[in-house]
Amino acid sequence: MMPIPRKKTDHFRPVGVVLAAIICVAVLVLSLQFIQAQDRSIIAIKGGTVLTMAGDTIEDGTVVMWEGKIAAVGKQVSIPDGAKIIDASGKFVMPGIIDAMTYYGIRPFGLNDRDNPVTPENKVISAYYPFGKMMHGEKGIVKDNEILSGGVTTVYIAPGDQQVIGGQGAVVKTYGVDYQTFTLREPAAIDMCIGDPPKQPMGMGAKPPVTRMGIATLLRKTLLGAQQFDQKIKDFAQKSGDEKGKTAPPPRNLGMEAMVKLLNRDIPARIESDFVDDIRTAIRICDEFDIDLIIDSGLGAYKVKEVLAEKNIPVVLGTPTHPFVQGGEVSMTPDLYREMDDYNAAKLLKAGVKLALGSFGFGFGGFGYATQGRWLLIEAAYLTGYDVSDEDALKMITINAAQILGVENRVGSLEKGKDADVIILNGYPLDIKTWVDQVFIDGKSVYTREGGLK
Amino acid sequence: MRCAIQTLVVLIFCAFLMAPLNSLTDELQNTVALKGATVLTAEGPSIPSGIILVKDGKIAAVGANVDIPQGVQIIDCSGKEIIPGMIDEHSHIGAYSDANEFSMPLGPENRAIDGLNFEVPHWYDAMKAGVITVITGPGSGERMGGQSVTIKTWGKDLKKRILKENREAKMAVNARDLSHIPNIRMKLIKAQEYREKWEKYEQGDKKGPAPDRDLALEALVPVLKGEEKLRVHIHFANDMMTFLKLKDEFGFDLTFIHSSEAYKVADEIAKRKVPVITLPLATRIAIDEHLLSGIKKLYDAGVKVALHTDHPVVHQKCLRLNAAMAIRYGVPEDAALQMVTINPAVSSKIADRVGSIAVGKDADLVVLNGTWYEPRTRVDLVFVDGILAYYRMKDDRGLAEVE
Repeated sequence: MMPIPRKKTDHFRPVGVVLAAIICVAVLVLSLQFIQAQDRSIIAIKGGTVLTMAGDTIEDGTVVMWEGKIAAVGKQVSIPDGAKIIDASGKFVMPGIIDAMTYYGIRPFGLNDRDNPVTPENKVISAYYPFGKMMHGEKGIVKDNEILSGGVTTVYIAPGDQQVIGGQGAVVKTYGVDYQTFTLREPAAIDMCIGDPPKQPMGMGAKPPVTRMGIATLLRKTLLGAQQFDQKIKDFAQKSGDEKGKTAPPPRNLGMEAMVKLLNRDIPARIESDFVDDIRTAIRICDEFDIDLIIDSGLGAYKVKEVLAEKNIPVVLGTPTHPFVQGGEVSMTPDLYREMDDYNAAKLLKAGVKLALGSFGFGFGGFGYATQGRWLLIEAAYLTGYDVSDEDALKMITINAAQILGVENRVGSLEKGKDADVIILNGYPLDIKTWVDQVFIDGKSVYTREGGLK
Repeated sequence: MRCAIQTLVVLIFCAFLMAPLNSLTDELQNTVALKGATVLTAEGPSIPSGIILVKDGKIAAVGANVDIPQGVQIIDCSGKEIIPGMIDEHSHIGAYSDANEFSMPLGPENRAIDGLNFEVPHWYDAMKAGVITVITGPGSGERMGGQSVTIKTWGKDLKKRILKENREAKMAVNARDLSHIPNIRMKLIKAQEYREKWEKYEQGDKKGPAPDRDLALEALVPVLKGEEKLRVHIHFANDMMTFLKLKDEFGFDLTFIHSSEAYKVADEIAKRKVPVITLPLATRIAIDEHLLSGIKKLYDAGVKVALHTDHPVVHQKCLRLNAAMAIRYGVPEDAALQMVTINPAVSSKIADRVGSIAVGKDADLVVLNGTWYEPRTRVDLVFVDGILAYYRMKDDRGLAEVE
């Protein structure tokens, strides 16, 4: 069972060919001294230690970005004439960081539809606000540079966890105002939660669910409903022209249409679950309906690591320094505290489970709880103290996160043809004193640290 | 050949004399010497390849050249760094479900010790992260929450763990609620009157009926006398100015907790020598750049800064990470170390016992396997009162599966 169906993309080669052709023409033009080549859109980052996340580290390497894509990466790369050259000697160059689980850009009170436990039709992208500060002065994620200052270029945005099925999440880049260009995948998954958060308050006239049983039942009912909805659509499609004219088509249902994508395994279910028993329930239900699953947060995932590895279920872990789980503080929840293991990541990795890190952070709100993706490098560094190798730790916030989110053909590593989402750091990425000096998204410099590299 | 044998003999002898870290046993001698580590004393310059002699739970000697008495067990700490046991000056460890007596908005008589849970794993987890002394107390749901307790996170005898059962007052203020300051001020005025009444009675050779006792006002008297601290949960700069004015009026010994906007009035705070316990800097909290770089501004202004976790808001194991974040935002490394060791010790009046590696102080020592502030660095050994409380090679099985 593959967690994410990977669609073959065939646009690499044409890009490469076109690129080669254009470079040839450019060289020809230059050699004829016809015009002065001043193509600023070619940027070459030179002399840095390049962590491609797709193989070996390249000392004194060069990354060439052109028209928003990576045109070349390597030690012996000829830099096209007229390229803007950025000297990164003594610095580190790596792909933009991916925060695999956030609530960025969504106002906290807009995260959950508390009156309805099941809303697969809700799309988080329609609540996503990428324009910086809101009219009330609440901070936004882009123009205030907080996320970019941590080198985060791609994030998964999700609805909140107070519903059984919250809705459809999306993978977006952290720069830009046009949904068409900054969205990498939408819907990227359907977000669900098994645990305490979706429970409704007990009492007279309480609405389901008030227990974990109720949560599971609602999940099953919804998936069964989707199966039946799908069947009706298929039955209708198979009818002959005459019959079609006589009967009315099945009524549209946006929620069910989204759920059918799960059944078709176009997108996975992302189920936030921390207690290992909730993880087991998530696996059980997804097995019953043969759908792909990603476990979110997964505080107790190490207890079922073999099952997760065997079924190829990835886990997006919360921040290890202080996991913010199930809508509350783990330190205030004695049962969850007992579930916690500092070696969760290391144990899962050793068993062969694919991992990413998610900040579960909010993009709005000033004072209060909000993990911020900009500290993901520090969180990764913290993990290296607990038997996670530096390479694995960095992969969790780059290429592995991209693979789990199903966007690895675009981002997550520095490889020819991928999006030019590149960050330059003034030191080793996992050191506390290291800062992100510059961030490129789609080949465009979108952030430069004050006092850092210009 | 002879030379080789001699060398071998010397090596074997050394191996016996110097217990390497992976062969330590629980039963250490009463006197041990930690040898070879970089010792960061939190008071003076760091000692490369220093020696710390621990005797009867206290630090007997520290320096580059310390005579180790014959037969003393030597623990080889070369390649390690040793820092004093860290101090978290504001947290709610052990109190998380009983931290706020909301029904008593002015309850200075409440004592945290009565509501603490010593059986939760948090204490051990704090200790193994190198946080040995904590001030834990009531929450900030009330204007006057009650009295904190200064306690070690580990120890076999609970009574001995307590350094100070504070009589300090923990307050919380947010002047956006207009009633906060008048309520607090009225209570302090009443306490002043109460104090005068008792002083008059005592000076008058206790003639006539004694004044009625009042637990709440009684708790505030040592604060007014300046014997006990007044710690106030405070975020906004205008509230800080108000409290500085109250300090001028009542003369109490003030410390700011959280102090988000303290950097805006750093000079005023420095002038009155009020210690500041600043916000948790760990990754959990959404603090903007102004607040994060504010800590450097406070340091530059000469304010005595201590860092805190507010556990369980941020896990106490992140105290070291808080110092790391201070360093990231420009605070010198040795100053950042002082912010989690000697500064809170001085501010809490326990510097005679803890807060630095100095002769005569409690042997609360943290041995780390690398640069003390890097997130990847782990605590290898923790000594509390000279007793080996945590030993990573043995106590932390890591990836080894439990059979």
